[in-house]
Amino acid sequence: MLMVRWRRVLAPLFLSLLLLVTACGPAAPPSPYAQVQEETTQRGAAPAVAPEATQGAQFNRFFPASGEGYQVVPAQEKKGFAEYKLKRDGKDVAMLAINDTTSTGAAAKFAQSTEKIGGYPAVDQGTQATAVLVGDRYQVKVLSRDDGFTRADRVAWLEKFDLNGLANLK
Amino acid sequence: MSQAIYKLVDDLPTGGLTVMALKALDFVIPGQWQNLVGFDNTIRTVTGETDPALVKQIGERAVTLFNDKSQGYQRALWLYETVDSASGLLGTAALANRIGQDTFLGFLQNFTPKPEKAQSIDLGVKLVTEIVAFCQINGIPGDSVGDFLAAIADYSGESLMRMAALVCFDGIIPLGPTFAEQALNTLTGTTATELDSNPTFKGVKDLIPGNNPAGKLNFITQSFATTRGWMETFVSSHGITRDKLLGNLRSVVEFTDDKADYVGALLDMNVKYYRHTGIQTLGRRLVERAVAEI
Repeated sequence: MLMVRWRRVLAPLFLSLLLLVTACGPAAPPSPYAQVQEETTQRGAAPAVAPEATQGAQFNRFFPASGEGYQVVPAQEKKGFAEYKLKRDGKDVAMLAINDTTSTGAAAKFAQSTEKIGGYPAVDQGTQATAVLVGDRYQVKVLSRDDGFTRADRVAWLEKFDLNGLANLK
Repeated sequence: MSQAIYKLVDDLPTGGLTVMALKALDFVIPGQWQNLVGFDNTIRTVTGETDPALVKQIGERAVTLFNDKSQGYQRALWLYETVDSASGLLGTAALANRIGQDTFLGFLQNFTPKPEKAQSIDLGVKLVTEIVAFCQINGIPGDSVGDFLAAIADYSGESLMRMAALVCFDGIIPLGPTFAEQALNTLTGTTATELDSNPTFKGVKDLIPGNNPAGKLNFITQSFATTRGWMETFVSSHGITRDKLLGNLRSVVEFTDDKADYVGALLDMNVKYYRHTGIQTLGRRLVERAVAEI
């Protein structure tokens, strides 16, 4: 009789102990993205894309065309952003992108620019990307996706965009 | 509260039935799909950048884009998750129906849809879900219908694996080698009321173009007719047969030949390939956009 009672007591006891141990265990370190997650999900958070940003469809005509063994394939088109893949022999070698920096503040980095490509201030970003800022607003970026696609290739493809046309986009 | 994209990508499994079933399809598109998991790992793999500060900057922009509901990424996630869970219900119905055919409980058939019909609708709904999710994630890229088709035709990696799984797990296994023709015939002979009672359709119907079930059915049938050629070429050019598929799946689930009919239903209930590869696609596209925008 006593045994049975003990058993009845033991189960909840173990359960409480288990919960206590679990609760006191080391907490997982917060994600490096916890702060931005909180900022961008709270009520009244700023939109990711500014309402006055140019529609991505407006950017299509300024991209370079396919040619010389390269295919330029449409990839994404959102408000303030358009992107194409650059392919050679069926393989992605680079990405070509135009975006409206009014949403991001990405234009600030061009203040340190010491170089011009196609007449516009240029910067390298990381090891795979080269960008120019057109009309103080539109960022044109070429990103390598293959080791054989060098910085010189990125500069050459930046020059193939209709940068002056983009500068005149209202 | 909405789910955090970095957590969804971090929590993707490296094993389990879904991953094993997808790996069993490697013979279809060799080397095309690596099970890329982990948010920072995805950023490093997609962009080739390793500097932690830059990786974090890209990640923060990706999180911001995902969390803005107007950008469509959350709707795409909802589609990928819902079509999988609703389709699992269909698996249960199909299994009940098989039992109904094989045993004295024949009367069960009166309560469950015929598997062929349900599977055909399922296949059509899943295909359309892919098209709608594609547009939510990528917009409608390019300046013409031709540009749009070129973007779809350029499917690779996890997106191509999702389509391979659709063709294999929801086409060939339940419906056989002539699945595309069969499904299209079935869809053409389906009424709007029948469509409206299909669990997979019910799950995602709010985001399928069309003002009413009849309009949505028309959109599904049209989309299926347009992509039928692609699916048939995919099967013939990759030499996919039902026997080869079942052979490869024996490494994932044990079954005997007389139970092969149940494999489709089992996969339907347990393999969440739309959600798994859909989150991988979302992660990749967000990173591609984020690195270009920062």
